[in-house]
Amino acid sequence: MDLAYHYELWRSMMSSGDLDWWQVFFVRFYQAFLENGRWQQYLRGVGTTLYVTAMALCLGVVLGVLVAVIRTAHDQQRPGRRNFLLGLADLVCRVYVTIIRGTPMMVQILIMGMVIFSSSRNFTMVGALTLGINSGAYVAEIIRGGLMSLDPGQMEAGRSLGLNYIQTMRFIVIPQAFKAILPSLGNEFIVLLKDTSMISVIGGQELIKAARDVINRTYDAMFPLIGSAVIYLILVLIFTWLQGRLERRLRQSDRR
Amino acid sequence: MKAMKRLTALLLAAVMAFALAACSDQGNQPSSTPSQTPTSSAPSQGPDDTQPSQAGAEFTTIEPGKLLMVTNAAFPPYEMTDDSGNVIGIDPEIAQAIADKLGLELVIDDIDFDAALISVQENRHDVMLAGLSYREDRDLVLDFTDKYATGIQVIIVNEGDDTIAGTNDELQLVDADGNVLEDIQIGVQRGTTGEEYCQSAHGTEHVTSLDNGSLAVQALINGQVDCVVIDNGPAQEYVAANPGLTILKAKYVEEDYCAAVDEGNTALLDAINNALNELIADGTVQRIIDKYITAD
Amino acid sequence: MIDVKDLTKSFGKHLVLNGISEHIHPGEKVVVIGPSGSGKSTFLRCLNLLEEPTSGTITFQGQEITDPKADINAIRRQMGMVFQHFNLFPNMTIRKNITLAPVQTKLMSQAEADEAASALLRRVGLEEKADAYPAQLSGGQKQRIAIVRALAMKPKLMLFDEPTSALDPEMVGEVLEVMKELAQEGMTMVVVTHEMGFAREVGTRVLFMDAGKILEQDEPQAFFAHPKEQRTIEFLSKVL
Repeated sequence: MDLAYHYELWRSMMSSGDLDWWQVFFVRFYQAFLENGRWQQYLRGVGTTLYVTAMALCLGVVLGVLVAVIRTAHDQQRPGRRNFLLGLADLVCRVYVTIIRGTPMMVQILIMGMVIFSSSRNFTMVGALTLGINSGAYVAEIIRGGLMSLDPGQMEAGRSLGLNYIQTMRFIVIPQAFKAILPSLGNEFIVLLKDTSMISVIGGQELIKAARDVINRTYDAMFPLIGSAVIYLILVLIFTWLQGRLERRLRQSDRR
Repeated sequence: MKAMKRLTALLLAAVMAFALAACSDQGNQPSSTPSQTPTSSAPSQGPDDTQPSQAGAEFTTIEPGKLLMVTNAAFPPYEMTDDSGNVIGIDPEIAQAIADKLGLELVIDDIDFDAALISVQENRHDVMLAGLSYREDRDLVLDFTDKYATGIQVIIVNEGDDTIAGTNDELQLVDADGNVLEDIQIGVQRGTTGEEYCQSAHGTEHVTSLDNGSLAVQALINGQVDCVVIDNGPAQEYVAANPGLTILKAKYVEEDYCAAVDEGNTALLDAINNALNELIADGTVQRIIDKYITAD
Repeated sequence: MIDVKDLTKSFGKHLVLNGISEHIHPGEKVVVIGPSGSGKSTFLRCLNLLEEPTSGTITFQGQEITDPKADINAIRRQMGMVFQHFNLFPNMTIRKNITLAPVQTKLMSQAEADEAASALLRRVGLEEKADAYPAQLSGGQKQRIAIVRALAMKPKLMLFDEPTSALDPEMVGEVLEVMKELAQEGMTMVVVTHEMGFAREVGTRVLFMDAGKILEQDEPQAFFAHPKEQRTIEFLSKVL
């Protein structure tokens, strides 16, 4: 069956209203995804979406770990031995987390795109940077929560054996905290993946931009938008599955 | 206000100082200081050009040898994307012709309309062509070229809906008896002149601003708005593509479409104006418009 | 070996230790008893600075450990500590639990540490558990491993913080057995416990703490036979 032929045929019949519902469905589907290889536009969009997510995730995790470690180290200082520099770093981290968590993602993207990087034309990178900075604040709180929730006896046991703070964190606290926070981290990753859709407002060329371009050419909003939604859903489901496997694997070590 | 803006910017910038460097390395970030070496002081020496454009002063562009144009490619037929994601339409072709005259390579970025307005002021882009109507308040922050097309804003309604008859002197929508339609919802494209006119005429609560014209038309089809006020060019396309819509005979308003550069960038403005006027004089502009808008 | 002078500790406004001065000699097995909330665990935890004293000084082998300049990590390496809730590292095998600190503090190479771990495990009869994870062990086994883990650092002093309180009754014996052997080998020990039998049998000295002070102390036989203070008599009548 020649899809392109039927598409041309039925499309010309559409305004007369003589088509069955499935024929209309086919025409709109073909127009939204297949005509002139439009699926490639979505594919490129998905590529950018994944790329931006990966960039933002890396930056977010680096920032998050840094902030979480600074804030935890500051909170766990022995009383009476406060380090001034650590206090300053802690203050910067608290301001950062407060600003990022206290303002909407969309506003941050607009500020970054139109005020701070108002002269950069690398819209996608600015978007990735914004998302990474945003994600860092949430990752920091997730990690900090994980470090705080761990039995303080673990830290005490490490220190009582003569390990220093950093060794105890590295070998004992962080590996355990990582396992505990993995579900929250996965959740943050999913949020991040979906939030990339917002960078199109400052000119990021990702999946939603591709869908909007197709809408502008076909004057039909339904199929490109629902198609994008399905693509996001599939990406999230794939990731959730991978995350589940990783969690099961980590659990093997302590429950046998 | 400005100080506030800077302060916030500073705070955020402090947090991500290191990332900033990484980004600007990757990006082909232009230097925003206009003190770069003049790139193409003289216009093209095209042999068939009757008279070379007389740029009074030497102009500079943000990136040497390039003309950075910004637009919002959701405004057919003035600008739209093709199926490979390239920006095409009347404005890109006119811009290409101008760039050729000036001996520059044209680079087009497609971003939101209101972001594009900011972008020229922030010297991220040299020039904006986006079916941009001349307005006095825009003239305060941008410098406009001469007019290259007439923008007619029209009203799209659902076929058979005869509640709207036209507009009065205050740009309010009226019925056949000339009474102002109080209880009406108008769809417009965000950041356009149509949005502003409708908002001041009917109040913001009666105006729904959508990110682009397609979405506004979709809202009309869905019955979320009673009509859409939009430029005639794209309106024709929308109506052709969506059976059941029609354009009212009565125009909403007529405006001048101009290109715009940053306020005070007189050298570049003059250069573009010279090139544009030559293109208008030799009929190039009209040919481009006719290619996209079949006369009727 | 350890000299404590005018030690006080308060959490906020709550005074937990109220001026403790005590000396512990090498080879002593000091058993600290007292009602809950008397400050005995806090006292023990101050000895290796898991709790920072509010005031007072603690000197270990001539070095003042409460001095802010003291290398607390180096000092802790010479003091083993066993916790009520074992605090084994659940993400590591038993062998790794034991060898982590000696290797990371450069006390031994990994091979030496493995060798030492095997020898210690053999001593407590848990050799075959070397590659198991803590979650697979019983409470008594975990606590024996915890003792071994502390011993792997070759400490000069062992601190026990209620080592049998979290155990099922039938497992208390196996842990106390290991502690007794350790005592017989001459290890200096400070033990906070509710096991009066252990105190009587193994201890060389019993400290009775109440309300942040050491109320009375004596050799075990004398202490249990002739308590002097009213609070001590009341306490012993309840636990014996």
